[in-house]
Amino acid sequence: MKYFLKLGLILLIISVVASGILAYINSITKPLIEENERREKEEARMDVLPEAVTFDSLTVFNKETVYTAKDDSGNIVGYTFIACKYGYSSNVKTMVGLKPDLSINNVKIISQSETPGLGANCIKPEFQAEFADKTENELKVDKDGGDIISLTGATITTRTIANSIKEGLNELKNIILTEEEVTE
Amino acid sequence: MKLTQEFTKGFIKENPVFVMALGLCPTLAVTTSVENAIGMGLAATFVLLFSNIFISLIKKIIPDKIRIPSYIVVIASFVTIVDMVMNAYFPAIHKNLGLFIPLIVVNCIILGRAEAFANKNTVIRSIVDGLGMGLGFTLALIVIGGIREILGVGQFLGHNVLPVSYKPVIVAILAPGAFLVMGVLMGLMNMKKTK
Repeated sequence: MKYFLKLGLILLIISVVASGILAYINSITKPLIEENERREKEEARMDVLPEAVTFDSLTVFNKETVYTAKDDSGNIVGYTFIACKYGYSSNVKTMVGLKPDLSINNVKIISQSETPGLGANCIKPEFQAEFADKTENELKVDKDGGDIISLTGATITTRTIANSIKEGLNELKNIILTEEEVTE
Repeated sequence: MKLTQEFTKGFIKENPVFVMALGLCPTLAVTTSVENAIGMGLAATFVLLFSNIFISLIKKIIPDKIRIPSYIVVIASFVTIVDMVMNAYFPAIHKNLGLFIPLIVVNCIILGRAEAFANKNTVIRSIVDGLGMGLGFTLALIVIGGIREILGVGQFLGHNVLPVSYKPVIVAILAPGAFLVMGVLMGLMNMKKTK
């Protein structure tokens, strides 16, 4: 009996030491990791709306902040939000840049782990360019009668991205429009 | 056994994938391209090296009866530390390898080498074993990944290697392709051995 207690005690000590070390390292690295993520999103925002200079938070969608983008003289040049939906094998997150008339300026896939060689090709700039200048109603892939040419062998990924952006637009357009009225 | 033999045994004679059939789950999952294969291989080698060092250092302290749970705690903590540190200080590398690091916890090569080698051998030998086994694993992943990428998309490391007229066999980079390629390669290895 005493022997088994001793075994349990040793295992307890190992676990306590391990979790102590982990907690310590976590407390050091967490702020850095958050900073990295913040910077990455900022870069993605600049990519989808290059004319913008400042970003003001507008509302929250998908647990991510929606921003109003302004140029240096304070005119609204667009909005950004993050669309997210489960694709073929992973959550596909897309940074979407909108023009003031709510058509798409540009999109950027910021995280995905779809099938390499098929769905993962969605990170290619040629594919992301497909979405430029599309309005809410034009967000349809070719298989569904739209203009967006789907990736070879990855219609599901393409459709997911189109639908996630569409849902986001649908949800946000009213908020953005009322916001504009208030500011005017 | 000589140290050099200890190092090279992982490449062919005791290759973790083709001969010992260890770590098959990540092997099947990530060998869709050579780039992924290299990423997973190097991340696993890194963790294997350090877990081997750790285990061989603390082998005397841990009672035999609870060695497996202790190893798992050590390995899991180590993988988590690597994940956090890499994410904080080397975000560019983490973006490419990050996906594979959590998978390493369940890679039985790590536990397998801790149990079969590091807890019976000196630190130096464990380092050599970890490096050799890790690189052998990487080699196996690159071979499988290379074949699948060439057949499946006509590319190698993202560069086109086959003429444009080649029509890719998409199944090669889907799940069944992994089983087929690995099975054929294992068969060839066995054929060579029994001859």
